Amino acid sequence: MGPVLGVTLKGIEAVPIDIEVEITGGLFVIAVVGLPDTAVREARERVRAALRSNGIQLRGRIAMNLAPADLPKVGSLLDLPMAVGLAMESGAVRVGETALFLGELAMDGQLRTTKGAVPAALLARKMGIPLFLPPGNAGEVALVKGVKAFAPPDLGSLLAHLRGDARIPPVTETGFETEETSIEPDLADIKGQAAAKRALEIAAAGHHNLLLVGSPGSGKTLLARALRGILPPLSDEERLETLLVKSTLGIPAKPDRMRPYRVVHHTASAIALCGGGATLRPGEISLAHRGVLFLDEFPEFHRDLLEALRQPLEDGVITVSRASGSVTYPARVLLVCACNPCPCGYWGDPVEPCRCSSRVLEKYRNRLSGPILDRIDLHVSVPRLTPEELVCLEGRQGPSSDEIREKVSGARKIQQERWKAQGFSSNAEIPERLVRSGLGLSRKVRPFLAEAVRGLRLSGRGISRVLKVARTVADLRGDAEVSVEDVCEALAYRGGGIPVDRT
Amino acid sequence: MDHLETGRYGEALAERFFRGKGWLILGQNIRVRGGELDLVAMDGPELVVVEVRTRSIGKVLPAEETVGPRKLKALVRSGRIYVEKCRWIGPWRIDLLGINLDAEGFPHFSHLPDITAGRIRS
Repeated sequence: MGPVLGVTLKGIEAVPIDIEVEITGGLFVIAVVGLPDTAVREARERVRAALRSNGIQLRGRIAMNLAPADLPKVGSLLDLPMAVGLAMESGAVRVGETALFLGELAMDGQLRTTKGAVPAALLARKMGIPLFLPPGNAGEVALVKGVKAFAPPDLGSLLAHLRGDARIPPVTETGFETEETSIEPDLADIKGQAAAKRALEIAAAGHHNLLLVGSPGSGKTLLARALRGILPPLSDEERLETLLVKSTLGIPAKPDRMRPYRVVHHTASAIALCGGGATLRPGEISLAHRGVLFLDEFPEFHRDLLEALRQPLEDGVITVSRASGSVTYPARVLLVCACNPCPCGYWGDPVEPCRCSSRVLEKYRNRLSGPILDRIDLHVSVPRLTPEELVCLEGRQGPSSDEIREKVSGARKIQQERWKAQGFSSNAEIPERLVRSGLGLSRKVRPFLAEAVRGLRLSGRGISRVLKVARTVADLRGDAEVSVEDVCEALAYRGGGIPVDRT
Repeated sequence: MDHLETGRYGEALAERFFRGKGWLILGQNIRVRGGELDLVAMDGPELVVVEVRTRSIGKVLPAEETVGPRKLKALVRSGRIYVEKCRWIGPWRIDLLGINLDAEGFPHFSHLPDITAGRIRS
C-alpha cells in the first residue's frame, strides 16, 4: 500500500483506496482509472486548479489508479487524496507515514465539507494512521474517541504540514455531551390522556412498537413527539451508530445524546423509507436507528411500503440489495404509527358523531389489519377530550418527562442485565424460545392466559407479544415475576381503538 | 502590409518576445508531415510548441481567438509528430501567442499557455 490513502463508502463502512500516480512525458492530460464515477472523474479539474493555486504546476501525461480497481468509487471525497498523491509524485511534498485523506477541494484549494467523515475516522482508528479532513467535518470526528485527526483549512496548509514547515494542531476530542437535554413537549404539559401516556412509558421501556388511534386533533402527533423525551439518552456506542448513518449522508452532527425522531409522510417511496438508489443510500428507517420512526396517517401508506418494513422491524437491520451491490444499514427503530379510527375520523368520539357506513368502516379496517399490525405490540386509543375537560384541566398533569425517563432507564437496565448473555437489550427483541422459558411468569399466569386466549382469539405471535409487554410492565415496577395484573394490562393494549363493529 | 508580411513580422516579434522571457528557441517555421509549427522552444524542463497569430486591429476577432477546434486538433497532431521525430520524452505543451497590431503598427501581445489543458482525451 502506498502512503496516500483515500476512502470510498460501502454502506456505513469506509473502504481504503490506494492512490497510485504515474507522471510521464507528453502533452498534459490526467487519466483516472479504477471505476471512478462522474464526481471522481471531474475531480481532476478541481485538483489541477487547487494545486495550481498552491504553486504546483502539473506537467506531462498523468495516470492515476484508484485501487482496488474493481470497486466503484463514489463522490467528491477523493479530491484531497488525489491532490496529495499528485503533489507527492511531482516532487512538491514527501508523505512519510501512511495517512488517510478525505475532502472535496475548491478551485482555490479550500477544503469543503464532505460526507463519510465518521466512517473514515473509524477506519483510520482501526488502521492506526492519521486522518486529514476538512474543517467542516472536524466537529463530528471530534466525537469519536482515539482518532488522530487533522483539519487543515486548505490544501496549502496541509502541504506545509506534510513538508514540516508549519504544523497544524490535531483535532481535540470533545466526546458527547453528558448532560441530558429535556425535549419539548413535556408529558406533564399534555392534558388528559393518562392511558396513552402509560402506553408511551411501556413502549419506551421495552422498545415496543406503538399504534395511536384517535380522532383529528386528539393529540396523537403531540404524544408521539413526547415519546422522544422519555427515552433514555443514547449510550456512547449507540450515539456512534446514529452518527455513522448521518455521516454517510453528510448530515451535520450535534454532540447531544438526543434520540433521532423521524417523521415520514405517507407519500414517501420505498427507497426513501428503506434506503437504496444508485449509491445505496440509507433510508429514513436507518436515520431513525435507536430512535423513533413516526408514521402519521398510517392507513394511507402504500401496502408494499409497510410490508417492506416487516423484515427490518424484526431484525433491527436492513439489507439494501441492488444490481450495483448490497449493503446493510442498522435499523433498530421504535415504530410509532398514528391513524384515525375511521375514514371520517370520529368513530367513538364523545362529541362528534361518526358518519361512516359499516361498509366503509370494514374497508378501512381491512386496510389496517394484516401482518404489520400484528407486529405492533401496543394499540392505544387516544380519545378527544370533551370541551369541559379541555377547559377544566389546568396546569401540569401527572409525572413529567424527566421523572418517567428515570423509570424507563431503570426498566431498561433490568432488561439489559437479564438478556446480556443472549445479546439482546430490550424485551421486544427476544425470540420465541426465550418467551417460553425466560420471562419469569407467575404460576397463575398460564391458566389465566389460556382462558383469555379463548375469548380474544389471539394468534401464537399475539400471545408472545402480550407476554413480552407484560414483562416490561413488571420491569417498570421492578418486579422479577410477571403477575396476572401485568398480563391484564398487556392484554388491554391489544386491538384497542380500532372499530370492531358498528354497535 | 499584406497578410503574409504581417505574419512574418509577427513571427519575428514572437522570437524576441520568448527570448526576452528566457526561453531557449529551438526553431521557427518547422515543417512536419501535414503541417507547420510556428515556433518551438524550451521553457525550463518543458518543451513548448507555440502557435503565433498576428492580426492588425480592425479585424472582427482578436488574433488569439482565431484558433478553433480544427486548428487545435491539427496542432496536437503536428506537435506529436515533431516530439516523436526529435525523440523528446519529457513533458510538452502547446501555447498560443496572439499579436494584435494597432493603427500605428505597435504590437500588443497576449500569451496563452497550455491551451489544450483538460481539453484532450487521454
